[in-house]
Amino acid sequence: MSVALDFYVHRESWLHRLDPRVKLWGMLVGFATAFLLPSLIVQGVLLLGLHLLLLGNGIPWRVLRGLWRQMALLIVLILVLQPFFAPSGDVLVAVGPLRLTVGGLVQAGLFATRTLAIAFCVGALLFTTDQRALVQAFVRLGLPYTWGLTFSLTLRFLPAIQQLFVTVREAQAARGWVAEGNLFRRFREYLPVLVAVIIGTLRMSDRLTLALAARGMGAPAQTPDSVSVQRTVWRDLRMRSTDWLVFTGITLGLLAISFWLFAFKG
Amino acid sequence: MLVAEHLNFAYPSPGLGLPATEALRDVAFHLETGGALAVMGASGSGKSTLCHVLAGLAPRYTGGHVSGVARAAGYDILATPPPTGAVGLLFQDAATQLFTPTVEDEVAWGLEALGTPPSHIGAQVEEALARFGLLGVRTRSPWVLSGGQQKRLALAAVWAMRPRVLLLDEPLGGLDPQGRAEVLAALETLAQGGATLLLTTFRPQAAALAPTTLVLTDGASTPPASTAEVLRDETQLVEAGILYPPYLWPTFEVPGTLSATPVITVQDLHFAYTDGHAALHGIDLEIPQGQFVAIIGPNGAGKSTLLRHFNGLLRPTRGTVHVQGKDAAGRTTGDLARAVGFLFQRPEQQLFAATVYEEVAFGVRALHLTDVAGRVERALARFELTAFAQTPPSILSYGVQRAVTLAALAALDTPILALDEPAVGLDGREWARLLAWLAERRAAGVTLVIVTHEMELAARADRVVALANGRVVADGAPDEVLG
Repeated sequence: MSVALDFYVHRESWLHRLDPRVKLWGMLVGFATAFLLPSLIVQGVLLLGLHLLLLGNGIPWRVLRGLWRQMALLIVLILVLQPFFAPSGDVLVAVGPLRLTVGGLVQAGLFATRTLAIAFCVGALLFTTDQRALVQAFVRLGLPYTWGLTFSLTLRFLPAIQQLFVTVREAQAARGWVAEGNLFRRFREYLPVLVAVIIGTLRMSDRLTLALAARGMGAPAQTPDSVSVQRTVWRDLRMRSTDWLVFTGITLGLLAISFWLFAFKG
Repeated sequence: MLVAEHLNFAYPSPGLGLPATEALRDVAFHLETGGALAVMGASGSGKSTLCHVLAGLAPRYTGGHVSGVARAAGYDILATPPPTGAVGLLFQDAATQLFTPTVEDEVAWGLEALGTPPSHIGAQVEEALARFGLLGVRTRSPWVLSGGQQKRLALAAVWAMRPRVLLLDEPLGGLDPQGRAEVLAALETLAQGGATLLLTTFRPQAAALAPTTLVLTDGASTPPASTAEVLRDETQLVEAGILYPPYLWPTFEVPGTLSATPVITVQDLHFAYTDGHAALHGIDLEIPQGQFVAIIGPNGAGKSTLLRHFNGLLRPTRGTVHVQGKDAAGRTTGDLARAVGFLFQRPEQQLFAATVYEEVAFGVRALHLTDVAGRVERALARFELTAFAQTPPSILSYGVQRAVTLAALAALDTPILALDEPAVGLDGREWARLLAWLAERRAAGVTLVIVTHEMELAARADRVVALANGRVVADGAPDEVLG
């Protein structure tokens, strides 16, 4: 069985202990900062700050490097293509209709650092918040419990379905099947694999339905004297003073940015 | 406390003109509070269905028709579902029962569903994890645990809800010997602790945990009797397809003398997965034509990784693998499939065709072999599958699915067979079928390379290769390696 789609890195840091709703709020304010302050220096400081925050809270460098690798292709594409879409200022090189300009390069750098800042804001949430707490945060913010559970189960079973695909493809390859030829032919030859994966997924979902039902999903619990009781939550989220302090700090930061934009940028 | 009287159950027809399947026929037993009952039966005899009916899941979630009487923990199960936590069920495939991100969350989930006050949940989670020896892995993901740990976790999650009746469906099913020993030890503490439990099994070690046992054959039950008596009557268990004791096994003889020509040559084989995990560290191996080689070793030793190099599913990070004298590196998996028939673990995940016939014919067609119909029909007949030819493989029982995967291999008639844990989860009838076919292939001069945890099977090989941490640690005759 494959590992679930989970980015959480288990540590005992203050950021890990921080209420996930505050971290969600921080992530949104991070997004807002990346969009509202279009300056290479601000984006760079935000990115550096996120790296220091994560490293300081026990997230190993290899995890951050992994995120850099995930983003690498997108960043290269932005840096290569963006300068030609938004040329402005002094022309550095011109080849036919294409013009590489100073303004275009700055714009591309800005887009790239903004994209990275957003990715690391999401990383700061996912690397330090376990799935249970994350789902609980959404539920406490108004998402129905069954939706939260569905979200969690999706994260759990997506890799299992991917593994099923690999297993079926290997089973077919071991019996002499080779996908070759043009794209259309390959797609047609993959159809039996897809059918098998769909059937396997349906069977998996059947078994999961039984497992959830056997553990009391959807059925009201009762005390020994037949009184119905509600589902409870172990380690429910509770805002502590540190959480309020960080929440206040983030909110004040957002207000300061808004004030500065209103007062000095119109 | 747990009662069945004239209990009958039939699954609905799966369509395609196929009839409804009668799964339980006139099953009857009484189990008192604190008692334990073992239900022994071969694969497909109705054991899981019995558990699902008694847990209130069938026909509620499966469809089908039920009649008779079933009472558990004082509830009429057939009339209304038992309230959450009254009846606990450990599913045969523990991995599908686990769905939360961490081990401790898995145990807490059921307690939350019961409405347990949050301040009590921590202590109860702790107690359940301690009882089943899982405290050390409490923050890990359930899906990275070993099979034995997953089974114990599923057991801990069910037990933590303090069910008045505990149903355990094949608690030792699908586990290697180490996993079986771990779970057996956990079950012993449950049985000694006075839990009311019903467990289904085809393994005598598990049945021995209960003082009484009934035998299910094609959905019909014998009256419960003393477990010691049932286990003494080995003939009945063999006839029911439950046991296949080694003294009945066929001999694995090869006609004449073995050729010295190697069919598989492995030189300095190193392999690392893409995540950096190095699984093999310099394996050297030469397998002559017609030899029966058993590859043994603990979980994670690199056995399956080595085997997957023989048909090109994995390619060496360093070193070479030659099959029939040709370097496997320059050959496609499709080409290697002509020489090496490969059997994976978990047959239910390998079946993809619309019918059993098409499943068996798939490889024959993919390799452009002659006489497709003849090969398929002979393979179906060899594994008693002719009656299932037009049935979708996905709706068959585990044992029949395993037979389909063997038939798909048999139809290819390859000179080398590489089998990855072919014996896991097999009952007596399936063992008999597998061993008879292997003996037949061996007599035909086919080279057999089998990864196994079953030492009885390894002892029948010409040669045993023991792996540990990706290296060969012993290689020789069974007497020398197994001691």
